[in-house]
Amino acid sequence: MLELHGITKTFFPHTPNEVRALQGVDVTIDDGSFVIVIGTNGSGKSTLLNAVAGTFFPDRGRIVLGGRDITRLREHARAAFIGRVFQNPFSGTAPEMSIAENLALAARRGQRRGLGWALSRSFRESLRERVGGLGMGLEDRIDNAIGSLSGGQRQALTLLMASWLRPQLLLLDEHTAALDPKSAEQVIRLSETTVQRDRLTTLMVTHSMQQACALGDRLIMMYRGRLLHDLRGAEKQRLRPEDLLARFDDVRRTEQLDESASAFLRRAYL
Amino acid sequence: MTLMLGAWTVGIILSLLALGVFISFRVFKFPDITTEGSITLGAAILAVCLLRGYSPVVATAAAFLAGGCAGAATGVLHTRFGINGLLSGIIVMTALYSVNLRVMGQSNIPLLNSHTIVSDAQAIGSWLTGGADGVGVFGWTIGVRELFTLALVVLFVVFVATALYVFLRTNLGSAMRATGDNDQMITALAVDTRNMITLGLALANGLIALSGALLAQYQGFVDVQMGIGMVVWGLASVIIGEALVGTRQLGFIVIGTVMGSVLFRLLVAVALRAGLNPNDLKLVTALFVFVALIVPGLTARLQCGGKTAAHA
Repeated sequence: MLELHGITKTFFPHTPNEVRALQGVDVTIDDGSFVIVIGTNGSGKSTLLNAVAGTFFPDRGRIVLGGRDITRLREHARAAFIGRVFQNPFSGTAPEMSIAENLALAARRGQRRGLGWALSRSFRESLRERVGGLGMGLEDRIDNAIGSLSGGQRQALTLLMASWLRPQLLLLDEHTAALDPKSAEQVIRLSETTVQRDRLTTLMVTHSMQQACALGDRLIMMYRGRLLHDLRGAEKQRLRPEDLLARFDDVRRTEQLDESASAFLRRAYL
Repeated sequence: MTLMLGAWTVGIILSLLALGVFISFRVFKFPDITTEGSITLGAAILAVCLLRGYSPVVATAAAFLAGGCAGAATGVLHTRFGINGLLSGIIVMTALYSVNLRVMGQSNIPLLNSHTIVSDAQAIGSWLTGGADGVGVFGWTIGVRELFTLALVVLFVVFVATALYVFLRTNLGSAMRATGDNDQMITALAVDTRNMITLGLALANGLIALSGALLAQYQGFVDVQMGIGMVVWGLASVIIGEALVGTRQLGFIVIGTVMGSVLFRLLVAVALRAGLNPNDLKLVTALFVFVALIVPGLTARLQCGGKTAAHA
């Protein structure tokens, strides 16, 4: 279970560039839940994921994962429990190293890295099998450098790396946004099977209304660093892309007023 | 011929320097100029240990450890105090100049009468050859001392290079390579890049100090100035090695770096023989590295550039 209690984060405080990215986020995510996070640009959805991943420490609030307070745990220390796939396909893999070597690194996430041989024979066997499971024909190329692969292949491998050892939490940060439609579809399908097969607790940020409606059992919509909508159960299942677009339109309309004016109108008319 | 043999020996000895430079500059993409201080530190520690009567093996091991500490210092400055990488190296290098003078107690220590691996090699050689002064190889008469020193350093470097290759393919070594390749990725796989960089720089400078310790024993003295220009020399070797074997396979890169170091020393020897003023050597080397860095990484063009620059 992931619990966020009153998470706030302001970038560049007390400067003209001040950005209040998160303004008190409270949310609890149950084990095995697949949560979609959407929102307009600058709504704080990626910041939220990065706060959980530990890219920065929040100004206030607590983050609890599986009963353990990880608020002050550094990024690499949390990574022992958290699997991540980034938006940029180049971010999740080491390009100069082979497919096999990258996966061998992932297979020791959170474990001691000593002087054992990184690519043992038995590891190579299980490697071929699981890489073959991606259905991309990469199992015969496991000694090729990752840098020679396409973005879609790299994202599929990053997903495999993130889930090689079952993570307590999987973070997918717009991981198909930089891919062509066909690869994006392939990676989304792989993500769905992986999450379902291992019953992974997952937070997925996306810009695609299609993905937001088709995937997951809960949807969170962020707006100005806060949770605006939180839909689950039947309400989430009924959700259509048009409904989401309508909600985005509402947001856009409010945005045309400044904050004090909209607060005044809300007081006066609601 | 003895000159060529000398170039081979120095090339092999300085291949440890080149391997150290390879680790910092290529594996970690960290411009580490601690090198210039740590190679002298290795030689200085060795000299002091030898003068205190320790065996050459113990003295050489001590040099390796001292270099490791110097590299770790640079790593800590960079990773724990957030100081720019180049500046961290400059700070430690500057500090090491005083440290080296303190260790040595004077600016130059002769080692000609000390028990070193060179005197060991000579002893082994005269035992094997039954006390001859020279042996014939391909029609040349070569001094027993020179030949067996070369053989000994070759054995030693083969051992160290193999150990380095094996290390880089272990779980820990892979994590280090990934740190240099993509630090975001390896952080997401629960590795503290600060420790990897510190450990990597320690290893690199340990090898560099080892190189200094062997060089001091070979040339028979330690001088506090001996580190000047060593970064560029090591870099030149790495670049020649990459031009020779490419950058695809880790094993090839390690072998290529050793070959690059030897080839570089041979080129230097040829250039000096051809009348190059020794005072111009560092300028020519710097020009060579400059040319190699700006010429795009085509093997043929790099090799061509290397030769023209070294002959100039």
